[in-house]
Amino acid sequence: MSTYYAGLLADTGILLLGALSVYIILATGQLSLGNAGFMGIGAYATSYLTVEMGVPLTPALLIAAFGAGIMGIIIGFPALRLKGIYLAMATLGFGEMVRSFLLNFETMGGSGGFSGMQHISVTYIWLWAGGVLLLIMLLEQSRLWLEMRAVHDDETAASLVGLNTTATKIGAFGFGAAVAAISGGLFAHHHVYIEPANFGFDRSIEFVLAVILGGSTVAPGAVIGSGLLVMLPEMLRFISDWRLAAFGALLILVLLTRRQGILDRNLFRLFSLRKQPS
Amino acid sequence: MILQQLVNGLTLGAVYTLIALSFSLVMGILGILNLAIAELFMIGGYIGFTVIIAQLPLPLAILAGMCGAALIAIIIEKVGYQPLRNTPVITPMLSTLGFSIILQNVATNVWGSDPLQLPDQFLGHRFEFGPISIGAMQLLVLGSTVFLVALLAFVVQRTSIGRALRAIAENRDVARLLGVPADRLMLIAFILSGLLAGAAGVLVGLHYAAITPYVGVETGLKAIAVMVIGGTTRIWGALVAGPLIGIAEVMTVAYGGSQIRDFVVYGLMILILLLRPQGILGGARTDQGPRV
Amino acid sequence: MSNVTRRNFGSAFTAALFVGTSVFALHAAQAQELKGREVVLGAIVPSSGHFAEWGRTNTVTLKMLEKQVNDAGGINGAKLKLVIYDDAARPAQATNSLRKLAGDDKVLAVAGPLTSSACEVVFPVANQLGIVSTSQASSKPGVAKANRPWAFRNTIDEGILAKTTVPYYKKAYDIKTVAVIYDAKDATAATVGTRIMPAIVKENGIQVLNENDLLSFNTGDLDVSAQVTKLKSLNPDGVVVSADYSQAVTVIREMKRQGLIKPIVGATQLISSAILKAAPEIPIVAPATFYATQKAEAAQKFVAQLQPLLRKESNLPPEIEPSMYDANIYEIVGMYIEAAKKAGITAKPEDLEKDRVKIRDYMAKLQGFQGLGGPISFNEDGDAIKAFYIVEGKNGAWETKVRGCSSASGGGCGS
Repeated sequence: MSTYYAGLLADTGILLLGALSVYIILATGQLSLGNAGFMGIGAYATSYLTVEMGVPLTPALLIAAFGAGIMGIIIGFPALRLKGIYLAMATLGFGEMVRSFLLNFETMGGSGGFSGMQHISVTYIWLWAGGVLLLIMLLEQSRLWLEMRAVHDDETAASLVGLNTTATKIGAFGFGAAVAAISGGLFAHHHVYIEPANFGFDRSIEFVLAVILGGSTVAPGAVIGSGLLVMLPEMLRFISDWRLAAFGALLILVLLTRRQGILDRNLFRLFSLRKQPS
Repeated sequence: MILQQLVNGLTLGAVYTLIALSFSLVMGILGILNLAIAELFMIGGYIGFTVIIAQLPLPLAILAGMCGAALIAIIIEKVGYQPLRNTPVITPMLSTLGFSIILQNVATNVWGSDPLQLPDQFLGHRFEFGPISIGAMQLLVLGSTVFLVALLAFVVQRTSIGRALRAIAENRDVARLLGVPADRLMLIAFILSGLLAGAAGVLVGLHYAAITPYVGVETGLKAIAVMVIGGTTRIWGALVAGPLIGIAEVMTVAYGGSQIRDFVVYGLMILILLLRPQGILGGARTDQGPRV
Repeated sequence: MSNVTRRNFGSAFTAALFVGTSVFALHAAQAQELKGREVVLGAIVPSSGHFAEWGRTNTVTLKMLEKQVNDAGGINGAKLKLVIYDDAARPAQATNSLRKLAGDDKVLAVAGPLTSSACEVVFPVANQLGIVSTSQASSKPGVAKANRPWAFRNTIDEGILAKTTVPYYKKAYDIKTVAVIYDAKDATAATVGTRIMPAIVKENGIQVLNENDLLSFNTGDLDVSAQVTKLKSLNPDGVVVSADYSQAVTVIREMKRQGLIKPIVGATQLISSAILKAAPEIPIVAPATFYATQKAEAAQKFVAQLQPLLRKESNLPPEIEPSMYDANIYEIVGMYIEAAKKAGITAKPEDLEKDRVKIRDYMAKLQGFQGLGGPISFNEDGDAIKAFYIVEGKNGAWETKVRGCSSASGGGCGS
């Protein structure tokens, strides 16, 4: 495979994980605009472990994910008090605070960035990305997912029926944060250099875009969305000066014509191997 | 020095207030976060600059900026918001994001990515009041802000259009049942926010005498914080919160260190969201946002 | 003449004729050695996004060079082809561009990327793929050094430049105290503002008034009034402004607005035409390797050729002038062309890797390449050894005050 396509595939895998992190939280009806913050925490934590403390990559990723997950749960508590757009703004603020913190964190370079990581292969990235995707798809078949959808559709009814909405929502935040952290750790070891600017509002929006464009109701939608977001700037190269505007226009077009995203349950069923009930 | 810093903070706050109000109009009434407002602010500024550089009078520049921004706001409403108004909130928000990307690209192509500067005679005219010095442009910005806020408050609270807007904010379906032309009023909300953002753009551009295609981005995010802190649907809240945040930012820089400035602003926003989500001037506790 | 002498003279003459003809034939052969082939070079520039203007002027510069070279017969008869990709100043896109250039377009060497952020990410990949990448603007200390042997930068480390800039500044304005303000979000500006400048300023006996509380702002900030008020309250003799010129403009205008008219000193990031318009009465002292009104002959010729082309472009401002980055990328590709001519490349697809190595080795040992300001070579860190000028910007124009050379010994940059 050409090194160019390998690079694009790696970027797609990393973005996929970020998109999935938003997807998980979105499944409980919460919009998080700050997942780049968790990605940043994961990136810096993993890099610190591998570069400064010599921890091998896989355990480092797991440790960072766990740490970020704890942070996600902590964030999940105050998030319970907020709904809809207010929650989105609070997560936005959180993301900016993390970026601001990293900018001042001189131990790991501050604005000068941090490097020294070992390069990883595309295969490794997709082992994680594919693994997490499969995990989530399996999860979607479980009772836990039903609970999450119930909370998403009508929280009041869900709690009346006896579901522990608190645990579901907080758990989703924790899980989402952990997945975003893995995305960050892989990002750090793919580009072998990280700086706070990589983990700002732009990145959080990228995750959300991947989910919404690709399909916000099924997990594999994030694959389509990530692929699209990585490939579009490359495919639009011929427009040169108006590349970004073309991207914006395409975004609006997709939203107008297919608001559930490209992949939805019906389309997915067409491709799945499961037999339709007759 | 502290008095001068207070003046700095007030001016900065006035800037935030204007932009926060634009966000607030659309947010409070339509429940969506219009991410393109920051770029309307930027384009308004560029249009104003173009008029000034062409040696035309100042009020014309402000008018041109306002109208230009309002025009673009209409396009955004018709293309990006109208068709999507019954979808979950993220979708129209992302659609406005698409517009903001397009607008930034347009500005970069038409005016270049380097700062566009006004000839420096615009920086002159300072008035000295003892330890404080304040520029003529600064006074214009402060004065205009108060005027615009009062005007907006008048429109929203005393006119029939304002009443209709508030009705829609309260409950869109019931308002329509009662005969309020919801679609037209949503357009009016967009236009008003465009006018405000455009005015802010020209005023701010004049004050700093330089503009880039990316002025909207940073300031926009802070303005969202200001909107939240003041109370998302409260017009006077924005007028209070703007200077408050402006002064907080300025004081952090002056006495705490420029580095933690963003931390303080967003931290305050999160604190308010958690402790008093209706904002400083908010009334009843209304933390029910539309479902995502 | 005796018979012996005549015979010796005869053979000497024949030998000389033979040698002369061979050399001539060889040179003629070499000049057409690559006829029918293509020498493909790549470039990564930010044509969209935050630094769109730099990328676009770079593109015009490169296209001009491509045409000049091909009109003059190409590279030993081969046609020069430049493939230019836009990275929008985003590191991920810069990396993808490099991979595409190296893997798909099979270029021999790459000019770019421009920003230090992009270089940090691209240089390791360049090493991985075995292709030379030379930046036209990155001056953040140590970026090329960490990525040898394939990474180069046609810029001078800011630390070296400051050592000459500050003494001139001190003498010209009798500076005893300064205050520092820098852009905290920009890695190069932050390094210069927090480490390089304070250290060198102190070495020169100047006191940094806000040493323990260096003032900063963020890229994109609209308002720096609080910071400038604080600067004013310190009452320094001069101000160190460490930021890219587009951000420095904001600071300088605020300084003028608040009446803080003190001379400014900074790094190469300040060099531009735009900054001269911010507050013409405030003198700005900074190092440059090129500026549009430079008096050197090669520089003037370059400007005369490039400026009309720039001004014709519809997406560039009408009073635009060639920038330091345009000069740098022109030199970089010029180096690659010289390497292609003299390093014995074959431009055959099967020799791609070997040709790339030849270019790399030629660059590392570059001697006497005539840049726009004098000869250029590279030091062990991959940074350029070339002439630089301490310039002073006042009343709308730059004026050269001191000429320096970035080699360790201070010599070797020609006269």
